[in-house]
Amino acid sequence: MKIDTLFIDKAIPENFEIKYIISRLGADPQWVENTKTVYDHINDADDPILKAKKTLYITKNKGAVIKACPGTSFYTCCDYTILHTGTFCTMDCSYCILQAYFHPPVLQYFAGLTTLGNTLENTFSQNKIFRIGTGEYTDSLIWEKISLQPKFLVETFAKQNNSLLELKTKTINIESLLPLDHNEKTVIAWSLNTPDIIGSEEKGTASLKARLEAASRVESKGYKLAFHFDPMVIYPECEIQYKRVVQQIFQHVRPESIVWISIGTFRFMPKLKQIIETRFKHSTIPYGEFILGLDNKMRYFKPLRIKIYQEIISCIKEYAPNLMVYFCMEDEEVWEKCMGFFPEKEGELGHLLDKSAVKHCSLNSNLL
Amino acid sequence: MSDCLCKININDIDLTDERYKISFSNTNIDFLARSLRETGLIYPPIVRPLNNKFIIISGFNRIRAHIHNNRVHNNGIKILVYKTEPDATDYQCLLKSISSLAFQRSLTLAELILCTKRLHEFLDKQQIAQKSPAIFNTELAEGFVRDLLFIGDLPDPGLQLIHTGNLSFKSAKRISLLGKETIKVFLDIFSKIHASQNKQLEIILYIMEISARDAIKPKAVYMNQEIQDILSDEKKDPGLKTRDLRACLFEQRFPIVFKAHQRVMEKITSIKLGNNIKILPPKNLDSQDYSISFTAKNYNQFQAKVQSLHKSLENKKLKELFTP
Ligand code: SF4
Repeated sequence: MKIDTLFIDKAIPENFEIKYIISRLGADPQWVENTKTVYDHINDADDPILKAKKTLYITKNKGAVIKACPGTSFYTCCDYTILHTGTFCTMDCSYCILQAYFHPPVLQYFAGLTTLGNTLENTFSQNKIFRIGTGEYTDSLIWEKISLQPKFLVETFAKQNNSLLELKTKTINIESLLPLDHNEKTVIAWSLNTPDIIGSEEKGTASLKARLEAASRVESKGYKLAFHFDPMVIYPECEIQYKRVVQQIFQHVRPESIVWISIGTFRFMPKLKQIIETRFKHSTIPYGEFILGLDNKMRYFKPLRIKIYQEIISCIKEYAPNLMVYFCMEDEEVWEKCMGFFPEKEGELGHLLDKSAVKHCSLNSNLL
Repeated sequence: MSDCLCKININDIDLTDERYKISFSNTNIDFLARSLRETGLIYPPIVRPLNNKFIIISGFNRIRAHIHNNRVHNNGIKILVYKTEPDATDYQCLLKSISSLAFQRSLTLAELILCTKRLHEFLDKQQIAQKSPAIFNTELAEGFVRDLLFIGDLPDPGLQLIHTGNLSFKSAKRISLLGKETIKVFLDIFSKIHASQNKQLEIILYIMEISARDAIKPKAVYMNQEIQDILSDEKKDPGLKTRDLRACLFEQRFPIVFKAHQRVMEKITSIKLGNNIKILPPKNLDSQDYSISFTAKNYNQFQAKVQSLHKSLENKKLKELFTP
């Protein structure tokens, strides 16, 4: 989605970082006093979500720059840390939870590389392993072509040894990252899906082939990789399709380069359904066999989730028996039936992931 | 514009012209007839002179009751009425018809829809909302008027179903946004069953979702033989038809959930714990937690139930339930 309107918070100094974005975007910025102008601009549209995807608002992060990922007590959480660099996304996936998460949704870029650096310094000085990602409220690489932020993050993380940076994306925006000295501290992660789902539900994203080729290119530059099968969508013959995706991963990259693969089936806040029905009329993803989960999100009926997980995990294990595969938000029964174990103790899953991070990214093993 | 009070001959009223009839209540007029005999006509009907006849604006039932009371006198029945000016407009007559009823009692939803629809021939939705206190004796928000107008466009028997309570406001609003053929499907379904609002909405939801999932028209879902058999069973009570239709639609919408749930329920019913002790399956079969429930009025009962539970520890089927 092309940015057609650029708002910049008047409180932001027009420094090199901002000038760089303005020049790369080629847009005429409107400097605004507060968010009201931005909100009004978005809310006036027939489809505010679509409008928001074309309206960039550069501002500073008024909340926490770093925070723990909000898991729930019902499903096992991976103790991830979120680096808040922006919100929303220029791509348009039908299932994207961000559509229902922000009111109104605003495509924000949080300026201030110095603030970001200072906050990270504090994290780097702790005696603890951190797995930090920017892809929770946005796609990590949507601004790679127009901003210095991804480069800054990769280079900042390269200088320490207790934190891993995960840049999670559905783009192939990797060009500026290729020549960087990343010191193995950055993991570039792709969310993957079957070509059917990418074609029908992930508007504006790169094709599967392009994502895997990009993965292969960053791997050749020594970057570590991760893949996320999330959300997996259940549809006729999806097992075969998902297995083909697994096969294609290993045709493109070596198992040793992969820090982890996460898997999770489509789940959503009930209010997302209406948004999908209104904005993506062709989409049939809300009409699977969903039940209301304990976390008040709609999830596929458990036997269906278990079946697809078992298939894909056994397929991954065929190619990479020792690869760290984990679930995002699943319960004991699912873990036991699909993985044969359950990280029951608090922090156990996090610890397993930390171990993989230490091993692949040369982090300080004394901190485990 | 003042109406004049006068006596006219009943034969001069065109009883077939019901253009201003907005009341759905074709109630038994016995009581009204008796009241007229005891106390006389307290509120005279309003009529409009038109083409050498009178047409009724308000008081359809009072005129019927009056005729009923005087049925022995074949000709020459007179009745006291308010007669509008000969040049009264259609709009003025409609206003009289609505407000004379609305200031007597609250209009039913079906009447409100009908009145709004008629008024819309003269006023836009904003004007209707603005004038609503004076016309309807209550304030109607513009959005609500818009909804009433949408629903007012439902074909027959939409309004009748709303009047009988077979179609709720929310369900009517939901289906009014659908295509003509689909609307007909739902009107047909709701004329054959009797369901609460939530159940109506569930039926609409399931049919629309099955249709979207399978890329077929809602009519094709409706034409399914099993659904047709349920709906066309004349002997079955509408409430039972609703239950069967919901079960059938649930099975079609969630075939795997349905079967799994059925299996679990079969297992549960095969475990006879006795003493009125119930086992409930995990919520949505998503957690692994079964619930056991019983009630006890006193300690002895409590003890007896706990003993029954204790005995059940060796129940093979119960063990199987926990080791699927
Ligand atoms: S790429 Fe991610 S953030 Fe962007 S629209 Fe898709 S799901 Fe949402």
